[in-house]
Amino acid sequence: MKKTKTIVVGVGNKILGDDGVGIHVVNQLRKQVKNLDVTLEEATTGGLNLLDIIVGYNKAVIVDAVRSNNGEHGVVKRFSLDNFDTMHSCNPHDVSLIEAIDMAKKIGENRIPREIVVIGIMMRNIPSEFSECLSDEIAMTVPKAVEMTLNEIKKDNMRKISS
Amino acid sequence: METVTIDPITRLEGHGKISIFLNDKGDVENAYLQIPELRGFERFAQGRRAEDMPQITSRICGVCPVAHHFASTKALDAAFNVDPPSAAKKLRELMYMGYFIYDHTLHFYYLGGPDFVVGPDAPPAKRNIIGVIEKAGVEIGKEVIKHRAYGQKITAILGGKATHPVCGLPGGVSKGLNKDEVKEIEKMVDSCIEFAKFSLKLFDEIVLQNKKYVDLILSDPYQLATYNMGLVDKNNKVNFYDGQIRVTDQKGEEFVKFDVRDYYKYIAEHVEEWTYIKFPYLKAIGWKGFKDGKDSGIYRVGPLGRLNAAEGMATPLADKEYNRFYETLGGKPVNSTLAFHWARLIELLYATERAKELIKDPEITSQKIRNPVGEPGEGMGVTEAARGTLIHHYKLTKDGLIDKANLIVATTNNAGAINMSIREAAKGVISRGNVSNATLNMVEMAFRAYDPCFACATHTLPGGMPLEVNIYDHERKLYKTLRQNL
Repeated sequence: MKKTKTIVVGVGNKILGDDGVGIHVVNQLRKQVKNLDVTLEEATTGGLNLLDIIVGYNKAVIVDAVRSNNGEHGVVKRFSLDNFDTMHSCNPHDVSLIEAIDMAKKIGENRIPREIVVIGIMMRNIPSEFSECLSDEIAMTVPKAVEMTLNEIKKDNMRKISS
Repeated sequence: METVTIDPITRLEGHGKISIFLNDKGDVENAYLQIPELRGFERFAQGRRAEDMPQITSRICGVCPVAHHFASTKALDAAFNVDPPSAAKKLRELMYMGYFIYDHTLHFYYLGGPDFVVGPDAPPAKRNIIGVIEKAGVEIGKEVIKHRAYGQKITAILGGKATHPVCGLPGGVSKGLNKDEVKEIEKMVDSCIEFAKFSLKLFDEIVLQNKKYVDLILSDPYQLATYNMGLVDKNNKVNFYDGQIRVTDQKGEEFVKFDVRDYYKYIAEHVEEWTYIKFPYLKAIGWKGFKDGKDSGIYRVGPLGRLNAAEGMATPLADKEYNRFYETLGGKPVNSTLAFHWARLIELLYATERAKELIKDPEITSQKIRNPVGEPGEGMGVTEAARGTLIHHYKLTKDGLIDKANLIVATTNNAGAINMSIREAAKGVISRGNVSNATLNMVEMAFRAYDPCFACATHTLPGGMPLEVNIYDHERKLYKTLRQNL
C-alpha cells in the first residue's frame, strides 16, 4: 500500500468519556474522508508509541483533549507542537512526544514529519469516569474539530496538487 | 505543621500530588502521595460480554495493556472453567516476555536510568534519555530504540497489536505461530539477550563501580523493610505469567503462599480519607498505618518485591545475576528502594532468556491453541505486570455477562510503600526547613523507582515530567515553591 503524505492521529482513551474525543473525531473523519491522500489512525499513548505511528509522514495532525489552564471548556484550538505546552493527561511511564522526537533526531532518524500540528479540544477537567460516551458539551465540539482537521488535510493535498 | 506539596504529574490535570508535612522544627513528619483513581469501572463492566473483557481492560491503561489483557484472559479461563492447551499457555507467556522486554527497557533507559547514568544532581534538562545518549553515546541510543522495538514487535506478532492485543480468549489464544514467525522472533530474542547482558554490564560500570551510587542505594532514606510479594513457579522461582502468589517477610522467609482464587483471604484494603486509592495490606497482620516492619501489613510488589519474594530466577544467566544482587547488597531481603532498578534489569535478562526457551520449544508452533469453554461462573486471574502483581476477578451471569468485576492493580499494591518511600526520602533531604532544588529529585527518585503507573489515560505531549514542591509553614501558609518542567 502506498504511504500517504499526511497522517491524522486521534489520541485518547475511548472508554474514558471525554478523554476519547480525539478518537471520536477520527471516526467521524473516516466517514468524510474518501478521496484525500491521508491516513487515519488512533492511539492511546503519547511519546514513543505516538512517534512510531507518525514516522515516515510529511505531516502529522494530532487530535487530542487538552486541559485548559484558564477554565476554557469545549473550545477547539490549533497548536504547533513547537510551542505546545498544555496537552493533557499523565503518564509517568513514557517520555513526551517532544522528548521522543529529540531523541530520534539525536540518533539520526530523518523521517520525522516536517510539520506536526495539534488540534486540541480544550477541557476544564480531566475525565476520570469510565464511559464510552462524550458529554454533551464536548460532543458539540466534534464537528468543529473535524472541520479544522479537514482544513489541515486539504492544505496539504492542495499543495500536492499545485506542485 | 508545615506542608510540602509536590505535583509530580503535570501542571495540566492537577491529579497526582505529593504533600510533605513538616513539624514546627521544619523536619519531615509525614508524606502522602495522592494519585488519581479512575472511577466507575465496575459499573462500566457490568452487563458486558465476558469475552470482551481482555480487550476492554487492555484499554484501562495505555501503560500495561498486555498485563491487563492476560490477567483478564486468565480470569476468564477460571470463570469458564477451562484449562488452555499447553501450547496456548506458552504462546501467551512468550508474548508476555515481549511486553517485559519493551517495558523494562523503556523504564531503565528513559525514566529511571538517567538519574544514575547522567547523575542525580544533574540539571533536570539533562536528566533524561537525551542526557543518557550524550553520556553513553549515539550507538547505545540506537540499541535502546532497536530493542524496545523488538519487544513490541514480538508482542505484535503474537498479539495482533502491540498496544491493544486481541489474541487472548478464554481457553487459549486466537492465533498460533508459523515457522517464519518463529525464525523472526528467535532472531530478535537472540539480540535482546545480548542487549540485556549489555544493560547489566552498563549498570555495573556506571552504578555498582561508583561508590557514591552504591552508598546512595544503601543509604537510610531509601530503605524500607516491608513484606514482599510476587508470583513464583513450583520451585519458588520468579514467574511473570503464572504460578502462586508468595509473600516473604523481613527475614526473607516465606510468610504465606496462596492461589489467586484465595486472594481475598490474604489481602484486605485500607481506605484513607485524603485519597481515592485503596491501600492493600496483609490481612493476617493488619493495617497499622504507614509503617514498615513485621507488625505492619504493608508489602511491596514489582521487580524488587518479586526478587525478594522468590528463591531465584528460572533461567541460568538471570539466576547468576540474582545471586550477585544479594551478595552485593548485603543478603536477603534487599530493602533498598533504589535497588528496584537493578532488579528490573535482572528481570529483563530473565525475560529474554525465557523468551528463548519458549521460542525453541517445538510445541510453540502447535495448532492446538484453544480448548472449549465450560459453563460461566466466577474466576480470578493474576499476572505480574512490569510494575507488580495484578489481579482481575469477575463474576459472570449464567448468560456469560459480567455481573461483578474487581481489579487490584500493581501500583495500588505498592501504594502504601510508595508513600513511605517518599516520606523517608524527604526526611533524608529536608531538615529544619531547608529545602533545595536537589530535594525535588531525591524525592522523585523514591517514587520513580517503583515505575508507578497512575492508572490514568496515558497520552502525554508536553516535555518532561513536571514537578512542583510547595512548602508551607506550620500554619500551612505557602513558604517556598520549587518547580521543574513547569
